[in-house]
Order: sequence, then C-alpha cells, then structure tokens
Amino acid sequence: MIAMTDRAGAGTAAEDDLYPPPDWAARRTAPGTRALLTFAALAALLVAGRLWVAPEVGGRALDAWTTIFVAICVQALPFLVFGVALSAAITAFVPPGVWNRLLPRRPGLAVPVAGAAGAVLPGCECASVPVASGLMARGVAPAAALTFLLAAPAINPIVLIATAVAFPGQPEMVLGRFGASLLVAVLAGWAWLLFGRGEWLKIPARPHAEAGRRWEAFRQAMRHDIMHAGGFLVVGGVAAATINVVVPAEWVTGIAGIPWAAVLTLAVLAVLMSICSEADAFVAASLSQFSPTAKLTFLVVGPMVDLKLIALQTGFFGRRFAVRFIPLTFALAVGVSSLVGWVLL
Amino acid sequence: MGAVVTKSAQNLLLITLGAATLWITVATDEYLNYVKPWFRWALIAAAVAVVVLGAAGLRREWHDADDHDDHGHDDHGHHGPRVAWLLCLPALGIFLIAPPALGSFTADRNSTRTAAPPAPDEGYGALRPTGGPLAMTISEFIGRSFEAQTGDPGTLRGIPVQLSGFAAPRPQGEGWYLTRLRMACCAGDAIPMRVIVHGAARPKTDTWVSVVGTWMPPTAGAPVTGVHEVRAQHTRPIKKPKNQYE
Repeated sequence: MIAMTDRAGAGTAAEDDLYPPPDWAARRTAPGTRALLTFAALAALLVAGRLWVAPEVGGRALDAWTTIFVAICVQALPFLVFGVALSAAITAFVPPGVWNRLLPRRPGLAVPVAGAAGAVLPGCECASVPVASGLMARGVAPAAALTFLLAAPAINPIVLIATAVAFPGQPEMVLGRFGASLLVAVLAGWAWLLFGRGEWLKIPARPHAEAGRRWEAFRQAMRHDIMHAGGFLVVGGVAAATINVVVPAEWVTGIAGIPWAAVLTLAVLAVLMSICSEADAFVAASLSQFSPTAKLTFLVVGPMVDLKLIALQTGFFGRRFAVRFIPLTFALAVGVSSLVGWVLL
Repeated sequence: MGAVVTKSAQNLLLITLGAATLWITVATDEYLNYVKPWFRWALIAAAVAVVVLGAAGLRREWHDADDHDDHGHDDHGHHGPRVAWLLCLPALGIFLIAPPALGSFTADRNSTRTAAPPAPDEGYGALRPTGGPLAMTISEFIGRSFEAQTGDPGTLRGIPVQLSGFAAPRPQGEGWYLTRLRMACCAGDAIPMRVIVHGAARPKTDTWVSVVGTWMPPTAGAPVTGVHEVRAQHTRPIKKPKNQYE
C-alpha cells in the first residue's frame, strides 16, 4: 500500500526521492497503445453498464448508499485537486533555502512560527511528510519541522474553506478547527523539543529537483498525491456511506448520545478512514448524529494521525520515531479538541 | 485488482475520474443528485484539471516509448499506491448504478436526526395573501409552522399554501408524509424535512405530488413537538423537479 519503506533502489532521477520507488523494468509493449486499449475497454464497459446494468439495479438501500458515496467523492474532488496542485507547486518550485531564512534560529521560537507557516502554506498530509523530512534534511530543527508537518494539512486555507463550505452558517467549526489544530501542532513540537531524542529520528538526506525538471516534478507530485489522497478519500466515502445506510440507525444514535464515546468513536474513525484533510469536512458533516465536539475531534485528529500517515511517518522517520510521536499526537489531538469543543461549540 | 498501479493505469484513472465528473456536470444534470447547484463550476474546473493531468502523462509516455523503443531504460516508472485503484469506484457507481437523488429510504432512516427549524435570523415576514394558495418550500412551511406554534398562530392559520415533495408512508398515526430532503452541502448530510398531510389519499411512496392545503394548529394543550401538519384541500401528481433537494 505505501511504497515509501522500500526506497533503497531509488537514486537515478532527482524526483525519485519524493515519490514511490521506480518500477522494476517496464514491459516493452508501447505503453501508449496499451493505455489506449485499456481505456477503450473501460469506456466500453462503462457505456454498456449504463445501458444495460443501471436500469436493472434498483435496491433502495444500494441506491442511497451509492448516492451518498458518490456525493462525498464528488464534493471533495475540487478541494482535493486544487489542494494537491498547490502543494505540488510548493514542492516543485519553492527553493529549499527559503525555509531556513524564514524560520527563527531558536528552536523554541521556530516551533510556533512553523505552526503559523502551516496556516498559509497548503499541503496535503501525504505531501507534508516528505516536505517535513526535506526541511529536516536542510537543517531545520526537527521539532519545528514536525510542527509544520502537523499544522500544514490541518489549518491551511483550502482546508478551512472546505470546512466552511461543509458547515455553512457554523463559523465556530472553522475557528475551532483552526485553533485546536494549531495548538496541538505547537504543543507536539514543544514536547518533542523537550523530551525527544535525536537518535529516535531517522533524517533522510534528499536532493532537490533540478531547475529544468520542475514542471515534470510538479506533474508527478500532483499525480502521485491525487492517487494517494484520492484512494483514501474513496475509503472515507465508503465508510461514511456505510454508516449512513447500513449500520442500524439506533446504534449510531446510541453511541452519538454518549459524549465521551462519541468523541472517541470519531477519533478512531478518523484514524481508520485516513481521509485527506481537504475532503474530511464533508465526511464529518455527513455524520450528523454526532455532537459538534465529536466532529471537531474528527477534523483535528484526521489530518494528524491516520493509517496512511502512520505508514508514511514510519517509512520516512523510522519505527522508533513513529511509536512515540503518533500516540503523543493522538492524545494531544483528542484532549485539545474536546477542550476546545467544550468551550467553543 | 491486486495489480500494481502502473503509470499508464494512473493516467487512465485520472482521465476516467475527470470524464465521469464531466458526464455528471456537462453532459447531464446528474450532479444535482449529489451536490448543490452552485458547485457545478468547481466540479467542471477540477474535472478539466484532472483530465489534462492524465492526458499530459499519457503524452509523456508516448514520447518516451518513441524515444527509447529498443533501449531498456525506464527511469520514469513509478507505481502508485494500490489504494489508488479505488478511484475506479466513483466512476463505476456513476455509470453502473446511476443512483437517483435520495428519497424516502433516507428520509425514513434519518428521521431521528433532529432538524432545527430553518428560520432565517430575521424571522419570516408576514404572509401576503394573493388570492391563490401561496407556494413555499417545505423548509419554509416548517419554519413558519414552528413560529406559529411557539408564537402567534394567526400568522399561518387559514392561509392556503402549496407545498411539493415526495410522498412517504407514516408507520404510526394518520396521514402520510410529504417530504423533501434538505442538504447543507452534499447528499451525505441530507436531513428530511417533512410535513404530515391529512385529508387526502396517500399517493404511492416516492411519487412527487403538490399539495394545496392549510396549516393545522396543534390541538389545544398539546406540547410543541416538532410535528407539522397540513390539511389538504387537493393534491395532484407533479413531475420530479430537476433539483430534488431543498
């Protein structure tokens, strides 16, 4: 699923270090021809399906499930595409030295600045792990890079706009998400600064894309992120549609009725669903039986701890890092968002 | 499905995803089954971006194939994560199942979701009788009914109104539900808005009807329960509207 762990073979082109490792040798049939044939077959399948399968399919539950599933995917798509485009542009076009110039020298001070930088720089969480690793490789204090890693996907402008769209008329949800996420990111950074040890963290050395190949790097970064984030978005859509249609309504309302159980359930769901932060607000909004605080927890935990991030962080920074940092982040995220939700929502 | 996602497959997935999105926004109006009308343009822009990205990738592969036909090197080959195959599912859902807008199934399931009366901040203005029945959305009717139940019943009593929605049976009690789903953002968060109709035969479930009738005040002494009722003068079947949500 995650190809970041076996990166040993990478080393030819500069972009290799950012994205999954090179293939073993490609098959020699012209890829264009193969692609065209596959596409033709797929298009034929879809047309045939629409003509002969769709009229036969009519279960009310299946229809409702599919409508909700497609709706969540469709609603999230533009946010996903434009978020990924911006984050790919930053990966490909912002020179590495900029980060060192922007961040204060003192790590204790660099942590909140890195957190605030997350508010202006869009980054999908899949992109934020390699970006943070690149920051460390370029001499940024690990604690500050980790704060950026947590903050960037959670509080960037695209995510906040998506949250505002998903919760119309509830600006406190956007505010709560922003405040709680920033707080968790900064606290986690400071905690790492105080208690973290250098040997827990594996800092990979990485070259940067050469100037001439930046467009190519942009295109590849964007495609890779859409594949990654889009795949997990579909997982989230499936889960949300299932909760909406298949899981008995009494169970959901039963759990949603117990405050602490609701918060923990959505926190765990956020980890399991691994939805991209640009898209998770729509899933949260569809869980309408749950309390606003539980939804806020979902929105704060999701961009910071989820299955794909656990895999990516383990791959980039090593297991010894992941087993310490991930529980720390999860506990902070649940605690802070319950508190913020209690005060604000 | 277990195969690795080669570059060609990734590009094709992108094009398929974009094409499916263009299908529901440009070729048809199916996007109205899923999202709010204003979202169309964002969808078209995203679909075009995704198609261009996929097409650029394919073009690149073509070039590489021409250039290196008989050399063995392939330095662009990147597998995508396997989870990327799932991107097929939305396209398959759109084309193979062609799901309609949500109907009585969801309305019935989500009936426990409490819908706050959707009144605007400044409240509803007074109704101006025009001689005929006043057409309004079910949300507005519920909001006005709530105002009348908690405040001055005179604002709604005896005024003929016209509501439209789909019919759904009422498991207990008399009458049937006239329902419309209201979405905040996409179909995933749809909440049923429903009014109990008295005094008319129940149409078949999920058929669209227009009801002309008057508001029924709650029986004296009964607590305000969030139940809103209308006494029908007449009902007639109507065509399914293009946008079935409120």
